[in-house]
Amino acid sequence: MLNRRDFLKLIGLGGVSTGAGFVLKEAMEPPVAKLIPYLVPPEDTVPGVANWYAGLCTQCSAGCGVITKTMEGRAKKIEGNPLHPINRGKLCARGQAGLQVLYNPDRVKGPLKRVGKRGEGEFREVSWEEGLSILSGNLKDLTNRNEAGKLYLLTSALRGHLTSLLVSFMDSFGSSNYFQYELFNNSNLIYANSVTIGSGAIPDYDIANTRLLLSFGADFMGTWLSPVRYARSYGDMRQGRPGVRGRFVQIEPRLSMTGASADEWVPVRPGTEGILALSIAYLIVEERHYRGADAKRWMDMLKRYNPDEVAGEIDISVRKIGELAEEFVEGGPSLAIGGDNLASYDNGIGNLVAVNVLNYLAGSIGHKGGVLLNGKDKTFKRKSVPYAQLTKLGDSALEGDIETLILYNTNPLFTAPSGMKLGASLENIPLIVSLSSFMDETTGMADLILPAHTSLEDWGDDFADHGAGYSVATVMQPAVSPVFDTKGVGDVFLALAASLGPGFKKDFPWRSFGDFLKDAWKKIYRRNRGSGIKERSFEDFWSRLLAAGGWWTPSPKISGAVNLSVGKASSHIPSAAAGFDGDSDKFPFFLTVYSHSAFLDGRGANLPWLQEMPDPMTSVVWGTWVEMNPKTARHLSLKEGDMIRVESPYGEIHAPLYLYPGIRPDTVAVPIGQGHTSYGRYAKERGDNPLAILPPRVDTRTGALALNSTRVRVFKSTRSGKLVKMEGSARELGRGIVQTVSNKEFKKMGKEA
Amino acid sequence: MKKVPIYIIVAVITFAIGYNVNARYFSNRRPVQPIAFSHKIHAGDNDIPCLYCHIYANKSRVAGVPSVQRCMGCHKVIKTDSPKIQKLTHYWESGEPIPWIKVHNLPDHVYFTHKRHVKAGVECQSCHGDVEEMDVIARVASLKMGWCLRCHMNEEVKNGKDCWTCHK
Amino acid sequence: MPGIIDRLSKRLKAYRTPGYYKKYDYHWTMVVDLDKCNGCAACVVACHAENNLPTVGKDECGKSRAFNWIRIERYVEGEYPDVKVKFIPIMCQHCDKARCELGCPVYATYHNQDGLNVQVYNRCVGTYTCATYCPYDVRRFNWFTYKWDEPLDQQLNPDVSVREMGVMEKCTFCIQRIRVAKDKAKDEEREIKDGDVQPACVQSCPTGAMVFGDLNDPNSSVSKLAKSRRTYRLLEKYNTEPSVIYLKRVMDGSSKGHEERHHV
Repeated sequence: MLNRRDFLKLIGLGGVSTGAGFVLKEAMEPPVAKLIPYLVPPEDTVPGVANWYAGLCTQCSAGCGVITKTMEGRAKKIEGNPLHPINRGKLCARGQAGLQVLYNPDRVKGPLKRVGKRGEGEFREVSWEEGLSILSGNLKDLTNRNEAGKLYLLTSALRGHLTSLLVSFMDSFGSSNYFQYELFNNSNLIYANSVTIGSGAIPDYDIANTRLLLSFGADFMGTWLSPVRYARSYGDMRQGRPGVRGRFVQIEPRLSMTGASADEWVPVRPGTEGILALSIAYLIVEERHYRGADAKRWMDMLKRYNPDEVAGEIDISVRKIGELAEEFVEGGPSLAIGGDNLASYDNGIGNLVAVNVLNYLAGSIGHKGGVLLNGKDKTFKRKSVPYAQLTKLGDSALEGDIETLILYNTNPLFTAPSGMKLGASLENIPLIVSLSSFMDETTGMADLILPAHTSLEDWGDDFADHGAGYSVATVMQPAVSPVFDTKGVGDVFLALAASLGPGFKKDFPWRSFGDFLKDAWKKIYRRNRGSGIKERSFEDFWSRLLAAGGWWTPSPKISGAVNLSVGKASSHIPSAAAGFDGDSDKFPFFLTVYSHSAFLDGRGANLPWLQEMPDPMTSVVWGTWVEMNPKTARHLSLKEGDMIRVESPYGEIHAPLYLYPGIRPDTVAVPIGQGHTSYGRYAKERGDNPLAILPPRVDTRTGALALNSTRVRVFKSTRSGKLVKMEGSARELGRGIVQTVSNKEFKKMGKEA
Repeated sequence: MKKVPIYIIVAVITFAIGYNVNARYFSNRRPVQPIAFSHKIHAGDNDIPCLYCHIYANKSRVAGVPSVQRCMGCHKVIKTDSPKIQKLTHYWESGEPIPWIKVHNLPDHVYFTHKRHVKAGVECQSCHGDVEEMDVIARVASLKMGWCLRCHMNEEVKNGKDCWTCHK
Repeated sequence: MPGIIDRLSKRLKAYRTPGYYKKYDYHWTMVVDLDKCNGCAACVVACHAENNLPTVGKDECGKSRAFNWIRIERYVEGEYPDVKVKFIPIMCQHCDKARCELGCPVYATYHNQDGLNVQVYNRCVGTYTCATYCPYDVRRFNWFTYKWDEPLDQQLNPDVSVREMGVMEKCTFCIQRIRVAKDKAKDEEREIKDGDVQPACVQSCPTGAMVFGDLNDPNSSVSKLAKSRRTYRLLEKYNTEPSVIYLKRVMDGSSKGHEERHHV
């Protein structure tokens, strides 16, 4: 019945189907997972329950306090610290994306030593011991050769005790060449304030309580000074007082994100903003709204800013100036602010002085709803470090004055105009050491990279410049253990100090930067001046300090009125509109470059969340663009998405065109931030860097770069490129999506609004 | 062609054998653990409460496997000559956690919290079976959605049928 | 048979009565004051961080496949130099009468007792019906199983599923945060208080334009704001009864969003 052949067939079938059954069951089972217990359970950690650690946001220099959610030792989210007086629990897009700095796949994962030619990007991994010994060997050489002064240190605008450590390290070493560099550094604002209203500190602008806000090119909700704090103030100004709604006028050639919220946009000719401020000031004096004894002298000085004389130059009607002046003085507090756009002309300081003059004459200084002066911070003894003037730095390098340059958290090669030839100057430095966490343009030039922790892995603190009207200190603690083989910057310098001989080490007895920080705070604890935290012992004080995320005295101090003399003002105010390089016949357009609300000065470009965040004004993602008024584009037969070549006397960039009705027809604008040639996979090759085609022009008094100081011409480019934007139509087309009520209707609603 | 039924019968029977062999001897309902830990000795014979070792069960969604330190808390002195305990001591001394194999495994789209169930007075045994009688830990419940819902409906759990109560 | 139809129609009716969850504990509601919104997009990034939203890159963005559970729409009115700009954040409106819920053939999206429009990922089969029915364009489809470059994956929120290819997703009003608040309230044997729950977008909003809370509680801040005379709901004419309430922007010289002119 069953022959041998069939029998074997049956056996085979049986085997296969047994296997099939086995495999089917296997597939139905959930995959085997391991359940790994703790060896020793960490204290205060319950798996599945989040822990929050207070810290400091380092994405810009506003100094917001943050809290980081961690679960099982990993950082999950960054939020604003609700207790912190600067941001009160809120946080901007850049701050939230700080998490992608920590977990960025393009971080430098351990110490690297250059092997190829400089700038070629060929490195070999070395141990921390080897890396540190290369640097300390070099430093010892400098000391032996009596050339300690040829050690240069360049960092971002640090303010906390890390600065103190760096300053004393440089002092002990015998070099006075520690500089800080930021593209957007407020140095013009500080200068203008110190020569007029007598305070080098950045004042507190009381936007929340003002009735009329006149903003001269201040992107105060995007990138200027303290965006989160001022955004909150803006919300309060609009709808924080029942029945009262502050009015907001923005004066700038290109409508910024902040300007987009204004009730009125006044598009003046680039570089004439300061003149407009003085013209308004003239009318205020002329109409006798200023009652000081020196009114006559002010009148004489401001005469030449008579609207009849200057309106044409500003490109605005005489009537409009009159209206602005009238609004500015009628009832309630008013406030004028001058932002980065204003400070970035070649007459930047003058423009800011002009805004101060306007505030002074309208009586807006030292009052609620006006400019509140911050007193000198007596609680924290901050070390101030001069801002680096890149041209001087470049010259020093060329003259062979720099033997060793240590860089931390700053990328001047990206932000310097190519006309400055900083790259060539840096070539002249024998040893460049970078402590950056990322392979940015400047770090790419380095001979040795000793990567630093990010802000979620390190200790630190900060004393915000433009606090909340009173002393604010923020403390930063490690929320997670280091992701890669990195070290804290403070720890690197302490290790260097230890290796430079016993004499040196004596001055730096701390085992780690954390110990140093704790010691430094002991001094503040002992001083105990109006402290926000009162505790019997330092240890209790320290743990409460870390839990709260900082220290502040919640009682605003408003200093009284100031005296601004005509003489002081007249020597600084702008006598003419700002200058622009390039002949207006050959280069018909003004170029405005502005800080992008996601990338700031380009540092945010390596974070995918920010790259994919649609730009608030254009909805463009993952790339750069040129903004042009639709009228101009029609005239030039250009259409949206066309690749454009923007040419200045110093070079050219290519980018797709975006038609933007919020820009003057004689101006084109390009955001700063894209155009990295290195800096990781997300930042690389996303268009051109507009900073490259700017004139190498700095204000010699402060070192600030004049960003808005060139004219350009535009052509259709032969290159290919794509504009990707998320918006469909920029117009509502009758769909009633954003509904409005007029101010009149709003007033009628009264308290029910 | 008349032999076809035989082929089918043989295929079905052997398929069932294969399936059951897997289910019975290879199933991860009752996997072989790195240390042959007996719940019967601990929770049964010695009456140690569940929460003594699974310390997070009433404060987190995960119950937590005891840390090696917790095991050693007792086993530094108890039964140190047993080969199983020597294995444990080896893990402890070499600073390695024990790679237990998960018996109760939920898919990632399920949010289950031990805490709420413990606080509501649900006995551990109602889902995990009579663990105190098991020498080798085994999963007794299917942990499928229908199984969850049966209880949620019988006990009339508030919002107990809403998807977003358990799905994340 | 008539019995079944009767029972079904009764159930559907109960379900379709707007505000049916009044008899339940909560009616989660968001109020957005457009007079405060400055379009800064902090909410957009906060949502990405909280809800494990992938970034898809330039090419996919160009195909409108970016994952924005919340987006800022920016509308321009007028011509240079009289340009006016208005912003509005748009997320799932959690409509009482949601089109998407009618469309889903597998019941993967439905309305729950707290007034939330639920999306159940493990039930979704990806027919895309809900997204085509939604008038607000807030639903996003997983065309691929997206990967995070290591170690970016370490940031993923364990309280939120990582979705796979073929699944529709959208704003949940941060259900995971509501769940944590409920859990905490239950521990303390109380109801959720006003301010206990803040979705990630509301939590981050620098100007304080967004407020979230329970409309069933007459003393909650959303209930107070909902009494404003500036309230309106998005695309009200479609009668979807959204749970998101907008407060009108105060602006002179605007065509109130009803302009019919076509521009550039």
